[in-house]
Amino acid sequence: MITTTNVFNILWLGDRACNDPAEVGGKAAHLSRLAADYQVPPGFCLTATAFDPDHSADAPLPTALAAALAAAYEALACRVGVPDVPVAVRSSALDEDGDLASFAGQHETELNVVGVDDVLDAVVRCWASGRNERAMAYREQQGLDTKGVRLAVLVQQLIKADTSAVVFSANPVSGNRDEVVVTASWGLGESLVSGTVTPDTWVVRKADLAVKEKRLGAKERMTVAVTGGTREVAVPRLLRKRASLSEAQVAELAQLAVELEEKMGRPVDIETAFAGDLLYLLQCRPITTLDESSLDTRATV
Amino acid sequence: MKQHGPIPAPPDFPVVWEDPDDERLFWTRDAMHFPYPVNALEGEFLVRIAQGNGFARAREAYDMPVKMLVRLVNTYLYSAPAPVVAPEEMEAVGERSQEKIEEAMSRLGERWRGEYLPEIQEYLRDWDRFDLRGASTPELLAHLDETVARFRRLWEIHFTIAIPMMVSVSTFEEFYRDLFGSDGAFDAYRLLQGLDNKTVETGRELWRLSRQALKMPEVREVLEENAAADVVPALEGSAQGREFLAELDAYLDQYGHRGDLWGISYPTWAEDPTPVIKMLKDYVTQSGGGPDEELASLAAERERHLSDTRERLEGYPRAVRDEFEFLLKVAREGVVLSEDHGFWIDFNSTARVRGVVMEFGHRFAEAGVIQRPDDVLHLNLDEIRETARRLPDLDRRDLISRRKAELERFAEVQPPPALGTPPPGPPPDNPVNRTLMKFFGGPPQPSGEPGVLRGNPGSPGVVRGRARVLRSLAEAAGLRQGEVLVAETTAPPWTPLFATAAAVVTDTGGILSHCAVVAREYRIPAVVGTGAATATIKSGQTVEVDGNAGIVRILSENES
Repeated sequence: MITTTNVFNILWLGDRACNDPAEVGGKAAHLSRLAADYQVPPGFCLTATAFDPDHSADAPLPTALAAALAAAYEALACRVGVPDVPVAVRSSALDEDGDLASFAGQHETELNVVGVDDVLDAVVRCWASGRNERAMAYREQQGLDTKGVRLAVLVQQLIKADTSAVVFSANPVSGNRDEVVVTASWGLGESLVSGTVTPDTWVVRKADLAVKEKRLGAKERMTVAVTGGTREVAVPRLLRKRASLSEAQVAELAQLAVELEEKMGRPVDIETAFAGDLLYLLQCRPITTLDESSLDTRATV
Repeated sequence: MKQHGPIPAPPDFPVVWEDPDDERLFWTRDAMHFPYPVNALEGEFLVRIAQGNGFARAREAYDMPVKMLVRLVNTYLYSAPAPVVAPEEMEAVGERSQEKIEEAMSRLGERWRGEYLPEIQEYLRDWDRFDLRGASTPELLAHLDETVARFRRLWEIHFTIAIPMMVSVSTFEEFYRDLFGSDGAFDAYRLLQGLDNKTVETGRELWRLSRQALKMPEVREVLEENAAADVVPALEGSAQGREFLAELDAYLDQYGHRGDLWGISYPTWAEDPTPVIKMLKDYVTQSGGGPDEELASLAAERERHLSDTRERLEGYPRAVRDEFEFLLKVAREGVVLSEDHGFWIDFNSTARVRGVVMEFGHRFAEAGVIQRPDDVLHLNLDEIRETARRLPDLDRRDLISRRKAELERFAEVQPPPALGTPPPGPPPDNPVNRTLMKFFGGPPQPSGEPGVLRGNPGSPGVVRGRARVLRSLAEAAGLRQGEVLVAETTAPPWTPLFATAAAVVTDTGGILSHCAVVAREYRIPAVVGTGAATATIKSGQTVEVDGNAGIVRILSENES
């Protein structure tokens, strides 16, 4: 693991220092803990300490900070083995704690950012997003502090997924805890997660990883990486009829879900991506809708 | 769905169905391959054996749920699809059939090179080894039987490869269009251009011959100053001329086994090189790098576009990239084969058949049982056999007169584009039907504007020029440099004229027709499948051909 100790607090996923939500926000801290044991795409966080809430969206970052970020980006590129490695740049708010309100989509996320200049610009935009109207309105609705918001920024290798899969370690529809449900579709996970596609679905028995049910979905659209970002495009008709995962991949995913459920102590929904021959873990959250409490996710523990 | 009644036949085209059930099918005319009345022997070879049996074997090989029936109606060729399975099974059978076609697609190039082409070449050698002139009647009759058997087999091969060959190109185009949309109709096809094939090779070798002629002053002079029909006798008068004629013979030996259109009815270039001479005459007036340069330029453009496309695909899932590369590979094989199979089967093999039947024709004419050798084309196979066995006792002249009169009668008539009963709805949407649509073109759409014809985009570009309507290759001498060639259809033997024409317009065909594919290789604009170009445009009128939009405008009424 790369560790960097410097005034600007750039912490790497997988380092113990990065496991602290007070430094890097709940989302990144959670990923950092997972990164120790699972194939999480490598990345680094700019901690909340460095966050300047009054930084103008039009101004460049202070020189020393920019230099530190540039060095970290270069280190990431070295680690991945790709110069100008494409990355995802996301904000990670300090009161995002993963268990409760899902802050997904409330702050800025930029995908397929390439090159140090674009990365620095993306960081600035992330900082600005902490104060945008949508984020503010959401925070108010959740009864959260709207003035003292503190943001960390996560810069992580972007996985150009061949297939993205969301896996539930319990059946989210029936509540059956003996089953794993695998949903998958072509390309990056955005189309799958946003619900614009009808994915392929497998229901797998936990006990022996046998496939109980298999339904090929229409898989109408996919998110692909294009210059400057990503785009959702139509899936060629030939590939709509083809399963987006092999039997072996389905089993691998079910296995991973079972392991993570054991580790977390509760049913989880995980976001994953297959790229080349590797399986990446992108996110792992408890399945909130299985809680005995109501769907109102404001219930506090 | 609305069920239509049968199409009423025009009064000058009375239809009597041998099988009354035929009237319930939807018959369309194949004007692309057979624009003119079909004689008896053509009916045997090209209709019954080639199209009929050949396609049926292919249908079996791929378990296709629809068969194609072919009939001669009043001397014109019509075909109709007929289902082979019950309506509720259609989709499932169709899907399995598609899988078989896709499997064949992936092995096509390998099978062509390893199995089919060697088999075809063996038959050609066998044919060329046989001494037609010296054979006795029984030997010639046995040879006829072998010829029929070989021909049957060759056309089974033809359709067995034609289906996956065309579907591969169409599938590739669809995949490309699914991914990138299309700025124009031609984007995907640019990745398949400049791949060399036997059709452009034929034109290229002719170009080389023309460069040789330019180096031989006496030959050059003869070509420049004589009408095409007078060139050969003029060349025979000098040593240099005879040297050139030897080169021409060598060319014709390789490339001359082809006539005007498809079939056995037209003299081949080897028999009558006038169309070739005409093309040579044009070529000696043209300068520049010629087809070699053109091919290199098309190939370079293709590779650039391919490189751009691969870059775009870098961010796409591996399944997409892999499928693209696979389809590109099979489409490349397909597009080359779409011209090469014609060279080897449609033309070379058919020319050998003509040689055999014309030998009978010469003997019958010598014996006085027919008037001229090519009258043999008006007899069917059994009639030829009987006439040969009973030579010179069986006089066929009356029979032939009656048959010729029928052909003449219907040559004057405009055959209806369709007969029988229109189907209640459009044909099912599947890869094979979409492919056929691209090859044959859909029914022509009226433009709604006078002087404007709507067809299918065939080759990009917009050009204006004087129209020249050609009804046969024999009329090709009338085509002048820079004119717009207008024809019912252009078979591969016409394509060297594309170096002379500024654009081409046809009545028949779609974006994957021979005319369109080759027009793109010659980089001249083409509008195909207009339906009425030869009936509407007159030679001498100025026309504008917009190959991007598929529109032809008649700009002036001046006729010559």
